[in-house]
Amino acid sequence: MEHASATPHPDAALLRPIENPGRTFYYMVGILLVIILYTGFVYIRQLWYGLGVTGMAQPVTWGFYIVNFVFFIGISHAGTLISAILRLSKAEWRRPITRMAEVITAIVLAIGGLHPIIDLGRPDRMMHLFYNGRLQSPLLWDVTSITAYFTASTVYLYIPLIPDIAILRDRGVKPRWLYEFLSWGWQGTERQHKVLDRAMNILMVMVIPIAISVHTIISYIFAMTVQPGWHSTIFGPYFVVGAIFSGIAAILVLMIVFRKVFHLEGYLKQIHFNYLSILLLIMSLIWFYFTFSEYLTGYYGHEPNEMRVFWYKFAGDFAPFFWAMLACNFAIPVAILCNSKTRTIPGILIASLFVIVGMWLERLIIVVPSLANPRLPYPTGIYIPSHTEWMLFLGGLSVFILGYMIFARFFPVISIWEIEEGRHESTRLVTERIRSYMPDMEPSTGQE
Amino acid sequence: MSKKTIEALQILSISLIWVLFIGIAVWIVNLIKESLKLHDAPDASVGISIVAIPVFFILASVLTYVFIGLRKGREEDSEP
Repeated sequence: MEHASATPHPDAALLRPIENPGRTFYYMVGILLVIILYTGFVYIRQLWYGLGVTGMAQPVTWGFYIVNFVFFIGISHAGTLISAILRLSKAEWRRPITRMAEVITAIVLAIGGLHPIIDLGRPDRMMHLFYNGRLQSPLLWDVTSITAYFTASTVYLYIPLIPDIAILRDRGVKPRWLYEFLSWGWQGTERQHKVLDRAMNILMVMVIPIAISVHTIISYIFAMTVQPGWHSTIFGPYFVVGAIFSGIAAILVLMIVFRKVFHLEGYLKQIHFNYLSILLLIMSLIWFYFTFSEYLTGYYGHEPNEMRVFWYKFAGDFAPFFWAMLACNFAIPVAILCNSKTRTIPGILIASLFVIVGMWLERLIIVVPSLANPRLPYPTGIYIPSHTEWMLFLGGLSVFILGYMIFARFFPVISIWEIEEGRHESTRLVTERIRSYMPDMEPSTGQE
Repeated sequence: MSKKTIEALQILSISLIWVLFIGIAVWIVNLIKESLKLHDAPDASVGISIVAIPVFFILASVLTYVFIGLRKGREEDSEP
């Protein structure tokens, strides 16, 4: 196609989606564009007629849009945070995973960040935030932290991408000007490597607290109110744990899809899935611990308003969603991932898909029941999402898939230079590291 | 596209990044001024801005450092 260089590359499999995307790529783009265009039409209709076209009404004034906002931002924790932790801990098996994870963050954050604007019947009122925002409001903390996280994640994705962009530039892949522009004259000199390493070290340390702050602050939107079911001191860490949990599941699903579609079996091996799925299992247990603590303290206090929400979730209208959430986030993944016989790639895919669904249900269960059962003497609210809300959800997912496909069309989803570096230096580095922390041999006593 | 145009675009992109981040800082400072004027919990506003503004400036500085460092680190530039 647009492949100018005929030189075979040792990692040709990673360049194939860029140099030869195939017809399926264009068909998929076409289908996704149709969905996105229809979603655009549905959104314009919402703008025209107002939020009356949604299922939201008093007292349930937050519905799918805020659920999806929290869900998408949660998924975004997959990338930059996990990648930074793996890089900082010098986990060598991270090399084929980090880029895939970082891309998720950049795309999903952009989609998630738009949802509160979609939730506004009058998006032009966003401007009030710029003119007369109140920095003491958690809503504005959110705007600031999401902007910081999005910027940091994009920079964190872009900087380690530069050497790979230079590979594409040198191979003459089109559009050449784009690769020329984005590669910043990368030649792989020692000095350039030093600059890149130093910048990466700063960013790695920076993005971890920013990422944690983002989901903590999202939880504050709920926890800083006195709504029953929301006013909780553990909401910050509970949200962060949930975000990392759903994020790992999202990475695993993407890794399995890319492995299958682009034949990356040589790069994404069973061991990568094994390590990440064990992490998923641990997160499932931690998530269950937080859920248990959250509901037990509420139940033990037996505050009447709190109990209304409690029973609404446990045995009321939302009981099917609540118990499905527990099954999806705890029972099913633990059952699959605890057993090494079922911890296979298909098993991990099933567990991850359940976790993604379960975490979406968790966001739904947090947002709607508390609003449906307010402290004020309202009758219990009813919320049934409309076609508009379902469509915008589907549209959000389509934008994510399209965004990821377009990224993979222009840039390698697995870091080529890091793989090369790993091949040449990993063994030496790991050996040196092991030697540095293993106890020294006892000095010879000279009796032999 | 010529090499000079690409270089101009690169310099433009760095300048735009700084414009964006300075804009964010100005916006935050403006909100602090508003909260001081209205006596509307200015301490909270100042506290948040102390954390937020440096984050954006560090990011812009890291990007600038990388872009300048990569240009300076090219072989043709390091030759006497």
